[in-house]
Amino acid sequence: MKHNLAEIEARILHEISEASTNDELERVRIKYLGKKGEISALLKHIGNLSPEQRPELGAAVNTLRNKVTHRIAQRKDELDTQALEESLRRDTIDVSLPGEVFEVGGLHPLTKSLREIISILSSMGFTVYESREAETDEMNFVKLNVPHGHPARDMQETFYLTDNALMRTHTSPGQIRGMLAMDGRLPVRFIVPGRVYRRDQTDASHHPVFHQVEGLAIHVDVTVKQLRGVISALMNRFFGQEVTVRLRPSYFPFTEPSCEVDISCVFCKGDGCSVCGGSGYLEVAGAGMVHPQVLRNGGYDPDEVSGFAFGFGLDRLAMLKHGIDDIRLLYGNDKRFLSQFRGI
Amino acid sequence: MKVPWTWLNEYVDLPWETQEAADRLTMAGLCVEEIRYEKLDISSVVSAKILDVKPHPTKPGQKIGLVDTGTGEFQIVSGAPGFAKGNIILVALPGATLPGGLKIEPRGLDGVVSQGMAVCSNELLNGQPPRPFEDIILLPPGTALGVSAGQLFEIDDWVMELDLTINYSHCLGILGVAMEAAALAKRPLKLPKVLEAWSWAGTYGSIKPESYDEGAPDFKIDLPEPELCPRYVGKIVENVRFAYSPVNIERRLQLAGQRPLNLVVDVTNYVMLETGQPLHAFDADRIAGNTIIVRSSKPGETILTLDDAERELPENTILITDASGPIGVAGVMGGNTTEVTEDTKRVLIESAYFDPLTVRLASQKLKLRTEAALRFEKGVDPTAQAAVAERAADLIARFSGGTPVSGYAETNHLNVEPKRIVLHMRTVERLLGETFSPATCREILERINFQVEESNADTQEAIAVTVPPRRVDIHEEVDLVEEVARHYGYDSFGTGDLSKAVPGGLTDPDLLCVDRIRDFLVSHGGLECITNSLVNPEHLACLGWESDDPRGNPVRLKHPLSSEESVLRTSLLPGLIGVAASNIRFGIQGLFIWETGRVFFPAADRLPIETRQIGLVSYGRLKPKTWLGGPEESGFYRMKGVVDSLMDLLGISDVSYLPKAGMPFHPGRSAKIVANMSTVGEIGDLHPVCLKHLDIPVPVTACWLSLEALLAVVKPKEYASLSKFMPVERDLAVIVPEEVSGGDVIDSIRKVGRHLASVILFDIWRKPPVPEGHKSLAFRLLYQPQDKTLTEEELAEDRERILEELRQRYNAVLRS
Repeated sequence: MKHNLAEIEARILHEISEASTNDELERVRIKYLGKKGEISALLKHIGNLSPEQRPELGAAVNTLRNKVTHRIAQRKDELDTQALEESLRRDTIDVSLPGEVFEVGGLHPLTKSLREIISILSSMGFTVYESREAETDEMNFVKLNVPHGHPARDMQETFYLTDNALMRTHTSPGQIRGMLAMDGRLPVRFIVPGRVYRRDQTDASHHPVFHQVEGLAIHVDVTVKQLRGVISALMNRFFGQEVTVRLRPSYFPFTEPSCEVDISCVFCKGDGCSVCGGSGYLEVAGAGMVHPQVLRNGGYDPDEVSGFAFGFGLDRLAMLKHGIDDIRLLYGNDKRFLSQFRGI
Repeated sequence: MKVPWTWLNEYVDLPWETQEAADRLTMAGLCVEEIRYEKLDISSVVSAKILDVKPHPTKPGQKIGLVDTGTGEFQIVSGAPGFAKGNIILVALPGATLPGGLKIEPRGLDGVVSQGMAVCSNELLNGQPPRPFEDIILLPPGTALGVSAGQLFEIDDWVMELDLTINYSHCLGILGVAMEAAALAKRPLKLPKVLEAWSWAGTYGSIKPESYDEGAPDFKIDLPEPELCPRYVGKIVENVRFAYSPVNIERRLQLAGQRPLNLVVDVTNYVMLETGQPLHAFDADRIAGNTIIVRSSKPGETILTLDDAERELPENTILITDASGPIGVAGVMGGNTTEVTEDTKRVLIESAYFDPLTVRLASQKLKLRTEAALRFEKGVDPTAQAAVAERAADLIARFSGGTPVSGYAETNHLNVEPKRIVLHMRTVERLLGETFSPATCREILERINFQVEESNADTQEAIAVTVPPRRVDIHEEVDLVEEVARHYGYDSFGTGDLSKAVPGGLTDPDLLCVDRIRDFLVSHGGLECITNSLVNPEHLACLGWESDDPRGNPVRLKHPLSSEESVLRTSLLPGLIGVAASNIRFGIQGLFIWETGRVFFPAADRLPIETRQIGLVSYGRLKPKTWLGGPEESGFYRMKGVVDSLMDLLGISDVSYLPKAGMPFHPGRSAKIVANMSTVGEIGDLHPVCLKHLDIPVPVTACWLSLEALLAVVKPKEYASLSKFMPVERDLAVIVPEEVSGGDVIDSIRKVGRHLASVILFDIWRKPPVPEGHKSLAFRLLYQPQDKTLTEEELAEDRERILEELRQRYNAVLRS
């Protein structure tokens, strides 16, 4: 009988190893371990044996049963692993194929640049004031110290709508409207972004409609130094590099003292190149301390407070930032152009 | 303004190279735009003495001379009066070059060889033959021989091109620039003798010298309208001989951009360029009645100006007249009848002050933006007229041998009181952020000829400043702060930070919302455009907006550059459709673009109404077919989907689409968008007629939304607590007559269904077994109960309720 058990064990283990699916394995299990299985029959058969024979053989059959049970579980693991490997192989895809592309749109480069400027200046406490585009002669000129017949009117060719209404030639009337909206409160610190209009023939650097960003800060202690501080911070962060800011004396009727703002050329770092005309500097803004009369026109007392104002050409900044050499591209809206600014 | 370097250095010894001088002037506010080296192509033209002269054997008037250049002798033929024995002249030697590519070679004249050429000024400077009555250049006795023209005269020179802002009218003369440069270099200013005697540069302006001989010139100046011409000086020079200017004067004028004409005219120009005070020279003998009357023009008056043009005079032009009528347009251009000619013997130099604004308007209306007008309109030194006239008379006398008549005729209504301004150190510090001592300010201001005294006006640290009358740009304290700042150097101040929080700003909360909308459109594939707000009225008409539509009645520019940009846009669509058209021309297969911006409508007696819009336009293939699917085409439903999603984002739930929008839309493929009972925009495919008018070969879909209307109904979504119960999906398909609108069916389901979270139309079927003239609409209903699990009975009940509603309203039949 003992001899027989070794034979049975060899046969069963062989059958288990031969089972190549879980179903076959199950059949083997039932065949030997099932209620009517061979090992179950052996166990029953032990009950019929003499008490002397029983312990030895009983232990032998139990060992066999445990061995088989263990081996079946082991084989099941093997088969599961094989099946998983098979399914992984089956489900493998060609990852080199192109994915499902979702084409996002994009902001216009002018909007992108404006957003950056707004974000930088809002960190310095500037809020945004949107003023109107069609203006009165009074707001666009007279309140800014440019009376009728003033030679400064030659500096800005104007589109008139009627004798007294015009398309604003700069965002500066927004200074007056903004000051009036502030109604005497301090500190005043806002920017006026928007479209402006000049009667200029279109060419690579002129377009009858373009954009400015006006800034105004008024308080009891606002000085030229702070003007330089704000402009330096704005330029450094906007261009993402250290630029030198140069304030060059100039003239605007609504500021005194007045200056042009030059920055060291962002292309040649001041060495001189074709973009800066060899000078190493780029003119980017007009600025100055708000003229006393303009403060008065906005409802502020120049003996009590002072202020600075600046006006950047947004188109110029965007063009410098992106290396765009023709302003017409900004207003041509060619898809091939716009698509290039979709990124961050 | 052009400033020749040598001319500038005549008034101040600058310690700098030209480039450094240019940089320093620029940083003091006198923007030097460019510096150029102006060179004439002259070689082998040297001084030579005429040793002997004999007449030409056959050519009357021509003389044969032997000239000595110090290194050789040459035979020269010339007919010039100055070609006489003993004179030192300029000779162009064989192989010499003159401007304009002129080459001098030996040539024969009736058998006599001329080895070179005796040169006149016009030949030397322009390479042109002598002008009428022009003699060859005669050099002073004792001039060394063989010296080149370039060494004898200031021919090649640096020229600085100044782009002056309008406040620097005191720099519209080279002397003014020299004053600024002298202050920057801390060097003395060297004035011409006459101007020095009149203390032209002084704080109080020009003052008649004590030793001045008043004389009694026989001339009358009548100024009946002192507000137009308050001061007029007439200085007479007699016994004037006709002449051309010396070479150096002609060359300086050339370098400064003026064409030399004759001595008298040149001197008036030269002195204008020197001092900034425009002058005019009349032939005094051609002025009727020895009287000048300055008055405003009468309607219909005309004048023949110097440039030989008969001009009708605009009303309110200041005229110089004599007994016979107009002889000059004041401050703009002289008249033809009193012009200085070869025959002029007696010259009247006009040196006047005219009202800046009146000169400016006249010059604009006449389209004569002369150098004189550009100076008068910015305001000239009101004290300098007599001094400058004397300077011109002196030069004319010096170069032409004329005799200035003692004294001058003048009428003067001006009483120039020097401006005195108190400059407080506190103001300087308040604006510049830097502490300045009175001594520093004083030093700076005195260097530019302001007079400074200590101020006893109040207890604050201050100085009392007297402003020279030429500084018409200085009105108040801040103007002095700028003077101090620019001479101290803007870049010498440090950098400061803005302190103090800004509690009450002006930011419009709508702007955040507009930015969200922009981001939304970008994330949905839209490319932002910025189009011109000046549009072509014809394009408005092409879109079918006639005068009965507000969009066909745009605000017009008074003087547009062209008709294509002559009216303000009344909608964003013309611009965006134009962008679509140009991209189609570039072969772009498909496009989804948008813009936000202002549109304009006329308002009676007020500024135009400005409102903000969003415009959307798309055409063509937005995404190509790929191995994964597609293609994705633009069209009505895709754009409607974008609008629906946008409305959802903005929390606007009550949105409906009423069929049929007006032009430019296709009547059967467009809708008015209504939100919360008000129209907020329109959407649709463009009308084929519009496409045809605009020459667009593909279908285009467009939409506009009123941003103001949307912002008025925007509602931030409120948070709803999350349901703990499982959602359930059910499908429902009904057959309805073709004319029933699907949107209505969806609305009805939403209305009567209970616990419905969404209703999705997933199929439309029009083929059998659906009967002809009908369509099957299949919906997926998503139930999301908040407070219980829905039972099968409740779901069946709801289905029955929906079906009953659809049966009654639309004759719907359940499709099984």
